[in-house]
Amino acid sequence: MKQSWKGYNVLNRNSIHVYAGLTALLFVFLNNSHSQELPPLTHSLTPVTKAVKAPELRFQNMDQEMVDIKDLRGKVVVVNFWATWCPPCRREMGSLERLYQATKDKNVEVLAINIGEDIDTVFSFLGMVEPTPNFQMLFDYDAVSMNKWDVKGLPTTYIIGPNGTIVYKAVGGREFDHPDIIQKVIQLGR
Amino acid sequence: MKTIFTATILGLFSFSTYADTQQTHHTDSATGAKTWETHVDGVHFSLTQILPDQAKAFYVNRGFSLEQIEPYTSSCVYMTVLRNDNAPGDIHFVSNNWSILVNNKPHKLVPVSQWVKRLSDAGVKKSAVIAFRWAQFPPEQEYKPGGDWNQGMLSIGLPADSIFNITAKWDIVGKEYEAKLEGVQCAK
Repeated sequence: MKQSWKGYNVLNRNSIHVYAGLTALLFVFLNNSHSQELPPLTHSLTPVTKAVKAPELRFQNMDQEMVDIKDLRGKVVVVNFWATWCPPCRREMGSLERLYQATKDKNVEVLAINIGEDIDTVFSFLGMVEPTPNFQMLFDYDAVSMNKWDVKGLPTTYIIGPNGTIVYKAVGGREFDHPDIIQKVIQLGR
Repeated sequence: MKTIFTATILGLFSFSTYADTQQTHHTDSATGAKTWETHVDGVHFSLTQILPDQAKAFYVNRGFSLEQIEPYTSSCVYMTVLRNDNAPGDIHFVSNNWSILVNNKPHKLVPVSQWVKRLSDAGVKKSAVIAFRWAQFPPEQEYKPGGDWNQGMLSIGLPADSIFNITAKWDIVGKEYEAKLEGVQCAK
């Protein structure tokens, strides 16, 4: 994935010096301390029994090229709604990349839809994720997809079958690299 | 960073239990933030204090000015988790139906939509309002058993140091369930 660095200028520069330390502490608090209290992320996927066609999804990627889910018909598509400030989104991002690596040559695509942030913010965050995500990052600057996809909280993930219908849903963070999830995703693509 | 992380782990925790409500609480020695949690009928419910300066840091970095976000950050904000581990079915809730008692008097949550309107009317830029909206605990949601959950911010709308009881309510195919946290304290 080709990515560009344009300078990290989205923050209020007058405030950043005052609050940078507190922000680091907050992220530690949100991601580490609090996660110590939570059970590990599960690997459950809820089957969507009613045949629902995947809603419209068409946004620019990191290279500012338009990506349309309609063009991915015939493939399994994992659609993950997220933001960099969302602790469980951050927790699951590495596992999403490992899912991608395990399935990318098996008729599977992963689309991560960032809600309301800009490319610089996302680019900066991705550099901290291990392994670094190589799947498609799309940008929903106005959060217009949330209602269309009935997303009520971040993260939320849908798995779309090759015929364009929603097959699985997961509300909240997951371990996407768990063998059960990888197996389910691969089987859908066969 | 590593030091803070280590301190955070080692700082876990002073521990106490309300035997009758299966409620526990603990304090993170690194941040001083307190957590109250319970597990009822297969559902985990917890509130963790977000200190006003932590909330300010979060929102200033999302594009708010201190003046714009201060009414929210001083309104007793919690990191809230509700998780359907193994309830006997899909759970559905509307957070505005949750009950709060302060000195035995009912207190209503300020709806997220009202916060969003207040911030939009104050001229907060759109991207910041979007971040605010989606950082909140969902006003309404459904969770399947097996681990559906959310983690989000919840403003109680009380002054610093207030103490309250909160009852989270949900239903499974029309049957109502609840989980209560007692003696919850707003951060100073």
